[in-house]
Amino acid sequence: MIRFTHASVTYPGGVAALKDLSLDIAEGEFVVVVGLSGAGKSTLIRTVNGLVPLSGGSVEVGSRTVGDLNRSRLRALRADVGMIFQHYNLVNRTTVLNNVLMGRLNRVPGWRSMLGWWGRDEVERAMRALEVVEIVEKAYVRAANLSGGQQQRVGIARALAQEPTVLLADEPVASLDPPTSHTVMRYLHRANRELGITTLVNLHFLDLARQYADRIVGLRAGAVVFDGPASAVDEKVFERIYGRSLTADDVLEAEASL
Amino acid sequence: MTGAQQTRRAADERLRRAVRPEKPFNWFRLVVTVAVVAGFLLATSTVDAHWGRLPEAPAQLWNILGLMIGELALADLPDALASMWESVAIAWLGTMIAAVLSFPLAFLAARNIAGPGTVVVTRQLLNIPRAIPEIIFAVALIPIFGLGPLAGTVAIGLSSTGTIGKLSAEIIEGCERGPIEAADAAGASKPQRVRWAVIPQVMPEIVAFWLYRFEINIRASAVLGVVGAGGIGTMLQQSIEFRQWGQAGMALIVVIVVTIVIDAASGAIRRRIIRGPSS
Amino acid sequence: MSSRQPGLTRPRRPRPSPFAAAGLVGLAAVTVLAGADWEYGIGFSLVEIWDGLTRANAPMRGLADIDLGTLLGSRARSGFLETLQMAVVGTVTGATAALPLALLNSRLGAPNRAGYVAVKLFNNIIRAVPDLLWALLFVAAVGVGVLPGILALFFFSLGVVTKLTSDTIDGIDHGPVEAARAGGASHPQMLRYAVLPQVLPAYTAFSMYCFELNLRASAVLGFVGAGGIGAVIDFYRGQGQWDRVWGVVAGFLVVVIIVERISALVRRRLL
Repeated sequence: MIRFTHASVTYPGGVAALKDLSLDIAEGEFVVVVGLSGAGKSTLIRTVNGLVPLSGGSVEVGSRTVGDLNRSRLRALRADVGMIFQHYNLVNRTTVLNNVLMGRLNRVPGWRSMLGWWGRDEVERAMRALEVVEIVEKAYVRAANLSGGQQQRVGIARALAQEPTVLLADEPVASLDPPTSHTVMRYLHRANRELGITTLVNLHFLDLARQYADRIVGLRAGAVVFDGPASAVDEKVFERIYGRSLTADDVLEAEASL
Repeated sequence: MTGAQQTRRAADERLRRAVRPEKPFNWFRLVVTVAVVAGFLLATSTVDAHWGRLPEAPAQLWNILGLMIGELALADLPDALASMWESVAIAWLGTMIAAVLSFPLAFLAARNIAGPGTVVVTRQLLNIPRAIPEIIFAVALIPIFGLGPLAGTVAIGLSSTGTIGKLSAEIIEGCERGPIEAADAAGASKPQRVRWAVIPQVMPEIVAFWLYRFEINIRASAVLGVVGAGGIGTMLQQSIEFRQWGQAGMALIVVIVVTIVIDAASGAIRRRIIRGPSS
Repeated sequence: MSSRQPGLTRPRRPRPSPFAAAGLVGLAAVTVLAGADWEYGIGFSLVEIWDGLTRANAPMRGLADIDLGTLLGSRARSGFLETLQMAVVGTVTGATAALPLALLNSRLGAPNRAGYVAVKLFNNIIRAVPDLLWALLFVAAVGVGVLPGILALFFFSLGVVTKLTSDTIDGIDHGPVEAARAGGASHPQMLRYAVLPQVLPAYTAFSMYCFELNLRASAVLGFVGAGGIGAVIDFYRGQGQWDRVWGVVAGFLVVVIIVERISALVRRRLL
């Protein structure tokens, strides 16, 4: 479903974020990427929908090679790939429904979206996406009036409204408290299991990763240092990824008890 | 995949029966929109504007701009620069008058410094010059000081006093209470509290606003000459009235360039004042 | 307090930076040059100001027996109506045109670097021309009347609202922008859904603020023949009827303060 072939990214200024990375993700998999901040996790995820262009190698999503697409085809690809962000990236000043409808932008004629004339069908799809994350009663509330956990659920609904085949989540729980983190992870898991969406998540907390992932990919300095089932991750693997032993900062539950 | 499809169908079924919230109606937005649109249509249709002349306006303006550039003569430059300098001088001195007048008034208009009675009286006093345009001050001052830059300077000074005073008062009201309390705890008198706890907090922002007002006053002083209160306005008005387009064009260019340059310089100084000295 | 401890040096009071020192000297020099009584100074004198203001003069006498009855006359009434009409038409048209211009005038909205620079330059020029100067130009172009006044207010509003709104756009949260791009939105769609909702309340507030500015400006456009209440003030001034001038100005003051109050209420509700 997603295939990285010798992918590398060098940012202007010479910082190499990804180095000759090759990775294969199958359809329907729930993959969690773990690693220190600065290991290249965010870059990795953003190359899948072309928000960050590759400097070398290639990324394929399904049958499409991201780097070869022209602008409108790239937009069509992005419409098939939902994305969830650490800071939710909602428009605070507008309603939850309008935020979710942003997920439909590529599916309606441009002029109609400019005028804000959403058809009954589009609104229905947005409502359903909100129902998946069980927050439909807030549809006409301003996003600013929601709690962090609720905002992230709206973020998930926006991605689901795209009816994507791939879901990307960039540190989706890093700004949330532990119970809310679990709620959000459960919704992502449900989207993967019930809707069959291939899901790629960046996480900082190892215990969360182990709990929800089918497969864990460890990233260190832009290269894959571990790739295997969640059950195979132990203390030694951890040291390989993080370059040090496990501390309380690396697990969610420990942080909760602080 | 069939298992997933089944769950999906079940989920769809569940969703179909779900209750959707109703779209709330935004009365406020409706009222504002209707008021603006109706006001606009009413004003456009009733105003005695001879709209028939509108279509020729772009061509006429274009024509005038063409003449201005076509007849541009370097010989007019020294005159234009000297007149513009007078406008800048009027704006600068006017702003200084306003700064001096408004500074004590601002403290009297701040709720955290002065008593409620004083605040109400001072605020009303500041409201009056704020609402009256500089030109009206200027026409009233010309019979007193005669035609020339002095009338313009005093006009700018008086009319800016209102805006600067009000905004300075708001800045003073926004300052932190902590240092005032600390000064109080150290046994400071009221003037001492203002001098050592309030003024150091608010001075950068107030000075930055003086400069901002100076930028605005340049635009005002550039047109004061229209009524004879000094500056480049006289040259602009006369050259346009007597259709000496070359001279008008030169004056216009000088006004625009000097305004943009002073805006940029003053803006940089303001940012530096707000940021404070780099250590 | 104990006596000074040996071996400890006290820091010296730092000197002002050369930048600040040169700046202060420069500003003082400008002030002296501008105020002095020479060829290029305006001859600023506090004595003269004091003398002028304390000497008996026509405007002050007029202020003492201000004639508020003037406001009821048909000349003043139609002047006020005209001023309101001009301000409404000028603000609505100018602010409407300013919205797309503000998008182009921001780093986020400009399609490319060259377009950004061109729009920025255009807007700076528009903004550098004072309201009364626009009126002078349009009186020359289309003749005296209300039309040049409306055109002047249009351009004045365009400059003000564009500048304030585009500054707001440069400061918005970029998260939704990234989200819109990640969802496959086109550039116009991104502006419409990620940028516009964030700036719309501020834009409306700026437009209302601009209406207040226009109302004030329209009181002076009449001095160059561009209609409104300014023409009435200029008329009475020409006749030396200062009592009536002040009567009209007082009425104008009340109108401005009422409009300001309403506008402040609506703005508070918006933001």
